Amino acid sequence: MKMLATFNVNGRDRDTVIAPHMTLADVLRDQLRLTGTKRACTGGNCGACTVLMDGVPVCSCIQLAVNARDRKIETVEGLAKPGGDLSALQEAFARNNAAQCGFCTSGMLMTAEALLRSNPRPTREEVKVAISGNICRCTGYVKIVDAIMEATAAAQEAAE
Amino acid sequence: MKTVRLSPADTDDLLYVGRDLQKPDVKKKVTGQAVYTEDIDMPGLAEGRLLHCPHPFARVKRIDTSKAEALPGVLAVLTAKDAPEARFSRSTMAEALPSFAFDGERQDQRILTDLCRYRGDCVAAVAAEDIYVAEQALDLIEVEYELLQPVFDPFEAMKPGAVAVHDDVKNNIAFEMDHPFNMGDTGKAFDEADVVVEFSGVNSRQKHLHMETDSAIAHFDETGRLTVISPSQGPHLGKKHLSERVFPDLNDGDIRWISPAIGGGFGARLALGLEPVAVLLARHTGRPIRVTSTREEDFNGYSSRTDQHQTVRLAAKSDGTVIGIEQHIVSDAGAYLSHSATTSLVNMQKSLGLFRCENVYGHVKVVYTNTPVTAGFRGYGNAEGAFVLQQAIDMLAERLGMDPIEIRAKNIRKEGEQSFFIPCKLEHSRLQECIDEGAKAFDWANKFRGWDRQKDEGRFKRGVGMSILNHASGAGGFLLEHSSAIMKVQADGSANLVISPCEMGQGILGALAQVAAELSGVPYDKIRIVTGDTDVTLFDIGSHASRSMFVVGNAVADCARKINAIIRERAVPHFEKRQIKVTPDQLVAKGGEIYPEGQPDKAIPIGEVAHDEIYNFSDAGAQITASGSYLSTSHHPNHQAAFAEVEVDTETGHVSVLRYLAAHDIGRAINPLLVESQMQGAAVQGLGFALKEDFVLDQKTGEVLNDTLLTYLAPTVMDVPELETLMIEDPFEKGPLGAKGVGEAGVVNPAAAVANAIYDAIGVRLHSVPMTPEKVLAMLQSGGAENPAGSSCVSGQRL
Repeated sequence: MKMLATFNVNGRDRDTVIAPHMTLADVLRDQLRLTGTKRACTGGNCGACTVLMDGVPVCSCIQLAVNARDRKIETVEGLAKPGGDLSALQEAFARNNAAQCGFCTSGMLMTAEALLRSNPRPTREEVKVAISGNICRCTGYVKIVDAIMEATAAAQEAAE
Repeated sequence: MKTVRLSPADTDDLLYVGRDLQKPDVKKKVTGQAVYTEDIDMPGLAEGRLLHCPHPFARVKRIDTSKAEALPGVLAVLTAKDAPEARFSRSTMAEALPSFAFDGERQDQRILTDLCRYRGDCVAAVAAEDIYVAEQALDLIEVEYELLQPVFDPFEAMKPGAVAVHDDVKNNIAFEMDHPFNMGDTGKAFDEADVVVEFSGVNSRQKHLHMETDSAIAHFDETGRLTVISPSQGPHLGKKHLSERVFPDLNDGDIRWISPAIGGGFGARLALGLEPVAVLLARHTGRPIRVTSTREEDFNGYSSRTDQHQTVRLAAKSDGTVIGIEQHIVSDAGAYLSHSATTSLVNMQKSLGLFRCENVYGHVKVVYTNTPVTAGFRGYGNAEGAFVLQQAIDMLAERLGMDPIEIRAKNIRKEGEQSFFIPCKLEHSRLQECIDEGAKAFDWANKFRGWDRQKDEGRFKRGVGMSILNHASGAGGFLLEHSSAIMKVQADGSANLVISPCEMGQGILGALAQVAAELSGVPYDKIRIVTGDTDVTLFDIGSHASRSMFVVGNAVADCARKINAIIRERAVPHFEKRQIKVTPDQLVAKGGEIYPEGQPDKAIPIGEVAHDEIYNFSDAGAQITASGSYLSTSHHPNHQAAFAEVEVDTETGHVSVLRYLAAHDIGRAINPLLVESQMQGAAVQGLGFALKEDFVLDQKTGEVLNDTLLTYLAPTVMDVPELETLMIEDPFEKGPLGAKGVGEAGVVNPAAAVANAIYDAIGVRLHSVPMTPEKVLAMLQSGGAENPAGSSCVSGQRL
C-alpha cells in the first residue's frame, strides 16, 4: 500500500510517495535524493544516518517515515548558511581534517549541531559523551572532538 | 602533534609542502555532497540482492526459483547454473606479484555455487526494480540442502582424515611456503645461543568495518562494453582480474572501472567484492544493476584480518645480540584463499626482517576451514606479527636484564645494511630517532621501573610497554610498483592532475596536489584532481602498502617538474615582449607566477602563458601538458616506535590505556595535519584490535555471533586514550620532496605495546588479541598458566 506524504526537510515541504515499511533514511535518500544522510548499519547502532527531528538527533534508519511526516527534519544538506557558505561547525571539520572517508561525517555533524544548539559551551567531555553513539573508523575521533570544540560559542568568541 | 626536525631542512622556500592545507574533497564531505557508490543514480538502475547459505558446509540438492521469478518487479533470479564455471580468488594480488614471492595463488571460488563452504556463500542472486521487491524475492526461493560435516578449527582441519573443504586440497592446506629470504642455519644458531626464548600467539579476525558497506554497480552499454562502479582500492588490477579470471570472455580494455568516493577501505577493497555478481546480473538483465550488502552480510561474508597462529623463537648471545630467529605461522583462510596467504608472507617479511640477523627461518601454512573468508587488513600481517615478536623480544630483554629500548636498539637494522626486504639495502631509517625521541617524550626512563620491581599494590596496577616496527612505502621489487600522472594546464593557469590513487579517506589527493603545486608552479587551490576512472587514469596497482605518497608522489613530482620546465620555456617570449631577455633556466615558476630569478616584481601570471598557448592565433603552440612516471625498486621502509601506559583492574580484568605515544619516521610530512590524522586513526584502530575487537564464531555451528555494530565492539570516542604523535622528519632523497609512507604503520604497534605494558603491570603475558577482560582474568587466576584462546602453531596446543 503506497501513500502520498509530505515531509518538511530543511525548511521546505517535499511531497513523495512512500510505503509503510520505509524508513526516514530510505525516504530521504531514495525518494528525495538527499544522499548526504548515510546508511551504514541500518540498525541504529552507528549514527551515520543521524538527522534532526524537531531539533533532536535521531537515527533515521530506525525511524519509520510515516512517523516523520509532521516533524521538522534537518539533514546535512541544510547545515550550510544561506548562499552556501559553510557553517562554523562545517568549517571547523574541514580545517581540522575531521572528515576522512566522510561516511560518518554527516551523522557526526548533525549530532554535534544538536549538541551546540542545546549547549553552546560544552566541555570536551560533554562533546565526547554527545558523539559516543557515532562510530568513526578513520579518524580515531581526536580531530572530530577538536573540530567541535572549535565550533563552540566560547571558541567562536575567542576567535573574533 | 609534535614535529622533530632532525636536519632542519629549508622549509621557508616551500609554498605548499609541509603545510596543513585542506584536502580537495573535504568540503564535499562536510556538506554531504561526496558521491559514494550507493548514492549514484542512473537511468534504468535496478537493485540486486543475494541469497546466502545458512549452513557452514552444505550441498544444494534442489533449488526452485519459480515463485521468486513470478513476483512482479523481479528481473532475474540466478543460481549456480547461470554463473561462469571459471574459478577466481577475491584477491587481485596475483596479477601484481612475481612468482618467487608468491607461487600459490588458487582460483577457488565461483560467483554463485551449489557447494557452499561457509555461511556467506551465495546460492542465488536476484535483480529487481527496487530493493524491496528483491528482498521479497529472496524469501520465495526454495532451497533444499544436504548438510555436510564442517570443520572450523585450522589445526583440526590439518589432521589426517579431516573433512576436505575443497576436494582437491590435501589436509586442507591451501598454501604452504618457506619464507623467501630464509638464510643461515637456525639450528646451529639456537645450539650456540646463550639465551633462547619462544612465544606463541594468535590474533582475532578484526573486521575492516569500513563505514560504507560493500556495493557495486555494473552496466553494459550499447556496444557491450562494461562499466563497473565500486569502492575499489585498486580498479586497474580489478579490471585485469575480473576479465582474466572471472569473465574470461572479456578483455582488460572491455572494462571501465570507476571508483567514486570510498567510505573507508583498510585493505578490504583490495579484493573483488560484489563486482562479479553485479556484472553477472547486469549481463542477464541488460540493465544497470547495483548490489549493496547489509552490515550483517559484511560481517558474515568477506572479509576480516586473517587469524594467524604464530610461534616465534629467538636465539641471542648474552650481550643481547640476536643470532637466530624462527617464525612459524598457521593462518586460517576461511573457506576460500584470498589475501590470507600473501598477508601471512608479508608478516614474515616484516617480523623476520626487523632485526639484523643472519640465521633466519620462516614457514607459513594457510588452511581452509568452513568459516568466512579472511583477508589483508591495514598493516598487512605486520600487526599480527608484532604482537608475538615484540613480546618475544621483551622476554629476551628480561632474561638478560636489559631495558626493552636497549635490546631493540642493539638489533635494529642501520642505514646501509640490508633492509627487511633482503635484496635491497636500507637507504633511509630514523627508527633509532623514533625510539629516542619517543622515549624522551614518554619519559620512559622514569616510567619503566625495571624487570625486578615490585608490582603496584592494590586492585589497580599500572605498567608501561613499547614496541617498534618497520613497514613499507610501497613494495618495490615485490609488487608492480610503477605509477604515472598526467597534468594539463588550462587557459586560466589552473591545472588538471590525473592520478590513479583511490581516495578512501587517507587524504592522499591533497598530499599529491601539494607536491604537484610545489613543483609545477600552479597554485594548490588551482589544481583540480581527476581520479578513479580507469579510462582516464594511467595504470597503477591502487592504494595500499602505504605506497601512494611515495610511488604515486614520485610520479606526480616527475610530471610537475616537466610542467614547470615547459611553463618556463614557453614564458620566454612573454618576457621578450617586455624587453626582458631570459633563458628558461633563469626563470622561476612558482605559486601561479613566473619571474626571472631574484626579481619577483617582474612576475607574469602562469595563466597568461597557458592562455596564449591555447588561444593566441599568432603564437598558439600546444596546450601545456606532461605526463610523469615512477618505478620503485625497493620497499623504502618507514618506521615507528610506540609507547603505552596501561592500568589493569585485577578484579575485572579490564585494561585501560592511559596514554599512547607513537613516533613515526616520515621522511618529510607533505601535510602534517594529514599525517597526524593517519597516525591517530591507525592508533585507535590498533587499540581496538588490541583490546576490544573480537569476531566470535560459534565453534559448533560456524555462526558469527556478533554480526552487528551493537555486538561487535569497535572503538568509540570514549575508548580513546591520551594520544600523542611525533613526526620524525628528515627528508629521504628518493622520496617526493623527501616523503615516505605513513598510512598503515600506526596500526601495528598498539597491541604489542599494550601487551608488553600489561606484562609490566601484572606479570603475565597474553597470547591472543583482543586482550579482553575475561582473558586477562583467566591469566591472572591461573598465574599465567592458562590462556583460553592462544595456540602454538608448532604443536597446535592451546596455551
